Amino acid sequence: MLRHLFTLIWNRKRANLLLISEVFFSFVVLFGVGAVLITVGKNYFTPHGFNYEDVWRLEVRAGQGLKMPRAELDDVVRQVKALPGVRTVALTSGNLPFIFNTNNSAFAYKGKKSPPTNYYDADDHYLEATQLHLREGRWFTQTDDGSNHRPVVITQDLREILFGDEPALGKIFTFSEPGPNIKPEDEFQVMGVVDNVNMESDFSAPIPAMWKRLIPYDTTHWETASMLVRVAPGEGGVLQEKIARTVAGVTRQWTTEVRVVNDDRLHRRMFTLVPVVGLCIMGLFLIINVALGLFGVLWYNISQRRAEIGLRRAMGATGAGIGWQFLGEMMVVTTFGVVLGAVLAAQFPLLNAFDLPAEPYLLAIGAAALAVYLITALCAWQPSRLAAGIQPAVALREE
Amino acid sequence: MENLLATSPETRSQPAAGLGATPVLRLTNIEKVYQTKTIETVALNQVNLTINRGEFVSVMGPSGCGKSTLLSLMGLLDEPTSGTIEVDGRAVQSYSDRELAGLRNLKIGFVFQSYHLINDLSVVDNVEVPLLYRKSMGGRECRQRALAALDKVGLSARTGHFPSQLSGGQRQRVAIARALAGGPEIILADEPTGNLDSVMGEEIMDLLLGLNRQDGVTIVMVTHDEQQALKTQRVVRFFDGSQVG
Ligand SMILES: Nc1ncnc2c1ncn2[C@@H]1O[C@H](COP(=O)(O)OP(=O)(O)OP(=O)(O)O)[C@@H](O)[C@H]1O
Ligand SMILES: [Mg+2]
Repeated sequence: MLRHLFTLIWNRKRANLLLISEVFFSFVVLFGVGAVLITVGKNYFTPHGFNYEDVWRLEVRAGQGLKMPRAELDDVVRQVKALPGVRTVALTSGNLPFIFNTNNSAFAYKGKKSPPTNYYDADDHYLEATQLHLREGRWFTQTDDGSNHRPVVITQDLREILFGDEPALGKIFTFSEPGPNIKPEDEFQVMGVVDNVNMESDFSAPIPAMWKRLIPYDTTHWETASMLVRVAPGEGGVLQEKIARTVAGVTRQWTTEVRVVNDDRLHRRMFTLVPVVGLCIMGLFLIINVALGLFGVLWYNISQRRAEIGLRRAMGATGAGIGWQFLGEMMVVTTFGVVLGAVLAAQFPLLNAFDLPAEPYLLAIGAAALAVYLITALCAWQPSRLAAGIQPAVALREE
Repeated sequence: MENLLATSPETRSQPAAGLGATPVLRLTNIEKVYQTKTIETVALNQVNLTINRGEFVSVMGPSGCGKSTLLSLMGLLDEPTSGTIEVDGRAVQSYSDRELAGLRNLKIGFVFQSYHLINDLSVVDNVEVPLLYRKSMGGRECRQRALAALDKVGLSARTGHFPSQLSGGQRQRVAIARALAGGPEIILADEPTGNLDSVMGEEIMDLLLGLNRQDGVTIVMVTHDEQQALKTQRVVRFFDGSQVG
């Protein structure tokens, strides 16, 4: 029977070629849509790597041309920190989580260059405020005051790129194009490594990141001071107002903005959601389209063979036997299409296309294959069983 | 079901010229009505017919009188509108789908008036089709049997051809070979020589007579040829769906 099946498949190669190409295109479309959806879904479910709950961003602006003396800023930080309900206050750079403001650059260590990496300024309380997950080493402390280089903490992905299997702690790296004479503060010394972090949006993938220690500073040229404030769970508007009043109490010239980081996240998500939902709808539309196309081609193919089915029934095939035969035949044909499609699809992870990890691609290959096989199974089994259900003499007349 | 496979003559009763005839096929009060949108055709009307083991029966009658309809009912390829068909004394309605398939496969060899070959299969592959549905038969035996059957109908030189590359007569012989290949107890042949020249027709007729006489195969054959009908044991005549003799 197996040889018969292959003979039949070979002899029907022209019709099967059409089927194979339909399967191939269906597979490729399903793979593409699947890879995108899986990537988006995977990003969505990947942890952000820090705890944005109960964190507020506090931005204090001195206004154009005005100075922001260090003493007064320190006062603000100290007084806000002292408010009941405030756990900690961390000074950082303006590229706060989830807002449309990023700083990125490439870094290098002994010829190894990183992809674009987000970098932030952060003071000694930043770890407490964000609850990043420390894997190695430590966060900055006052003991770093005497350091000859700029103490930094990096994410695990950046660590792997720059240092591979070597120990990272204590290593010194620079911007990938640091210019002719490197200042000591641009020589970054690794103090700690944290888990990968995504501070962009819920649908983004984690990207490498680095935090530079905010070294004892002269703030007179600052126009804005950005802070992350960790508060006790349940704190709200009352405390926000208190913070604003506290800042005003130090100096009336500064303006204050307090926002909940989680709101920033939701706001950012709204922006990303539109293209993602559009993508999903388009993907779904494509999937349905392809499924219907495949369905149609297969169904037509088998309906064309009702007379053959009648003959086989007349020669002693059982209804189930017919179902299995067509299932087997179509599965073999489908396999050709799927293999061709998979060979093409495998180029994406192999060539590292779009700099994405291989996993979503492989998952998408699996999902596309599964979908194609399911459709094929249904379209081979159902019409052939239907044709096998009618009297052979009736089916035979349909030639 | 396996014992049906046996082709040795001694397991079969003697040709039915005589006493103790056992019916293999019995049609009782058979009516077959074809219903189309516009008209209703009574293709068979109150047919009562018994075919005994080892008989060679000719069915004759003008075109459209219901001969092919009768044969496909006997071949279990269709259901009558009313009446009963019995195979080996058991009503066909009581057989399961699987059992019916087994009967068609092992017991009956059917030669269609319009051949019904699978165009995507070569001659020998076509002849093998009924053998494929026998679980007990290996690939090599299938092929040997198919080649032997093709040899009997004089088509040994055409085994690799496709139906589209054959003449009508050659196709008819492939259809006959396919019916023979499984060594059936009953051969139902719808004008098996209709497309053959007289010499080839004679040969096929001799082949069928041989099968009937030597192997005890029961044969029902539709024919328009009185000469051929004379060589068979019994002639059943139809007119307009009814048996007239
Ligand atoms: N599927 C069908 N639908 C409607 N009418 C049918 C169908 N099959 C056969 N008939 C009608 O039934 C009658 C008997 O047809 P059948 O094929 O049995 O004739 P026949 O005796 O074999 O004729 P011939 O000698 O030409 O082969 C004819 O009138 C035919 O038109
Ligand atoms: Mg006819």
